[in-house]
Amino acid sequence: MLELSSTPARITFGVFAALLAAFLFSPVYWLIISALKGNAELYRVIPTLWPHEPVLAHVRTAFERGNLFLNLKNSLVVSGGAAVLNTALAAYAGYSVAKFNYAGRRPLMVLLLSAQVLPFGLLLITIYPVMARFGLLDTHLGLILASIVFALPVSTYMLYSYFSQAPTEIIEAARADGAGEWRIFHTIILPLSIPALVTVFLYAFMWSWNDLLYSMTLIVSEDKRTIGPGLLLNYLNETNADWGGAMAASIVASLPILIAFAFLQRWFIQGVTAGAVK
Amino acid sequence: MNAVSAGGITVTGAPAARLSPLARRAGLKTGERRVGWLFMTPALIAFAAVILAPFLSALGLAFTRYDLQTPNPVFIGLANFAQIAASPEIRESFVVTFVFVSLATVFTIVLALAWALILNQPFRGRAALRTATIIPWVLPSTVSAFIWAWIFNSRYGLLNAAMLEMGLIDQPVAWLSTSAGAMTAIVIAKVWISIPVTMTFFLAGLQSLDREQIDAARVDGAGDFAVLKDHVLPHLRPVLLVVVVLAVIGNLQQFDKIYALTGGGPVRATTVLSIEVYRRAFDSWDIGMASAVGLLWVATIIPPAYLYLRHLLKTV
Repeated sequence: MLELSSTPARITFGVFAALLAAFLFSPVYWLIISALKGNAELYRVIPTLWPHEPVLAHVRTAFERGNLFLNLKNSLVVSGGAAVLNTALAAYAGYSVAKFNYAGRRPLMVLLLSAQVLPFGLLLITIYPVMARFGLLDTHLGLILASIVFALPVSTYMLYSYFSQAPTEIIEAARADGAGEWRIFHTIILPLSIPALVTVFLYAFMWSWNDLLYSMTLIVSEDKRTIGPGLLLNYLNETNADWGGAMAASIVASLPILIAFAFLQRWFIQGVTAGAVK
Repeated sequence: MNAVSAGGITVTGAPAARLSPLARRAGLKTGERRVGWLFMTPALIAFAAVILAPFLSALGLAFTRYDLQTPNPVFIGLANFAQIAASPEIRESFVVTFVFVSLATVFTIVLALAWALILNQPFRGRAALRTATIIPWVLPSTVSAFIWAWIFNSRYGLLNAAMLEMGLIDQPVAWLSTSAGAMTAIVIAKVWISIPVTMTFFLAGLQSLDREQIDAARVDGAGDFAVLKDHVLPHLRPVLLVVVVLAVIGNLQQFDKIYALTGGGPVRATTVLSIEVYRRAFDSWDIGMASAVGLLWVATIIPPAYLYLRHLLKTV
């Protein structure tokens, strides 16, 4: 867009670009190479800039130590469950606001959206005793239900925006053919909305996967623990900091979400910004 | 005549189509309302259960004594708030929150805008760079906290090594053990995490920039800086509002990264409101007090939230 007019401008620009790129990407680079260094190379005041003798020892110990597999499995159950639930709720609600004309739909949307600004930590104070009363404390189901807090408002808004653009003629035609609303939604609208649904699913999945606050508070048992608190509690206790292991386990914990994003990034970016930038 | 919501039966549909447009309209409306609410109900139940009810009960508990010694909440009026006003500790949390939110928001906006302008220039590998930019944002909270804790590590950290090499310090500094160092670390970590998504908003805004206008300005002899100042930045103004508001809300709510990186310490140097509330509730089990602080916390979020909602509502 902006062809720079002079060489000094181009150079200044290039320097800024390089500095920012370094800020954004060097931590990731540092994470990866720290995981690949042996302890002798890792614990040095002036570190090597790349692993001179790369080893996979930390990756191996990351899996042997502290239930990494179990944590990953638990996270998969919780995040998968939370994402499915969230996407389903948001799809019905978003479709309702987008395609049905009834008094009260606007206030409902405002109410849902306003929840996005309530701090999760405040809600947790009273979610906790309620979960305890219903026996859902320290269960994956409880954590899944509580995770609705993270993504439901934005998800509903994202799907509302998407459904609003779906041609009403198709729906009218299906109605004229006698198809019920339930069937219209499930057999016509949903299949047309896979990109949006995937985006919302991923959004909710990410929130749940990356969460620390809810998962460390609502889950107590070690065998039910998810990846966020699992990493925190397994590594870096004051006495015994295993940085190589922490870095290797971090990579393993990040891979599922990174892979998902690598494939779905384009859809995702469109979905997240569609509503806000008009 | 409710062909619409009766659903699924082909026979009822045919006569409905033959009805006068007016009658069909009326039938649709009642059906529409009912089906609309039906589709809305599951989300509303979930919303009421995990968002609205917890919020309202926290609102009520803010006016009660409810702690380990008081198993059932007892109404005490504004006593919690009086205690907050008299507590230098809690007042400090507000200051810490203010410092953290201001610094994190300003640096996020400036750097994300710069990065968006850079990624808006045509160059080889731009698409790959845009894709890679999202990485800090999608990493689990614990992971990003680990990365920065390791960089800021007092003995083997990259930061100390770089500063020693450049001669900026004579000996390693225990960054996370000093107030300023810990605050710097959480601000840098949060800025790093927030740049990707903020940049995305700016980049989306830049897509609709009017090329011809800029070309015309160029012909009139406008320099790079003039184009930026007179055309690009004004064009981004609406996006800027959204982004600032979202950044403020996000920073006010931040808990995970700060907790994992500094735990609110050293002492209380990085105890922002989110951590204050968490500690009151889940370390000292003083639910009344935690709710009261939480309520004030919500109050700080309301002004940016109002702006954000007003913006979103223009589109509903």
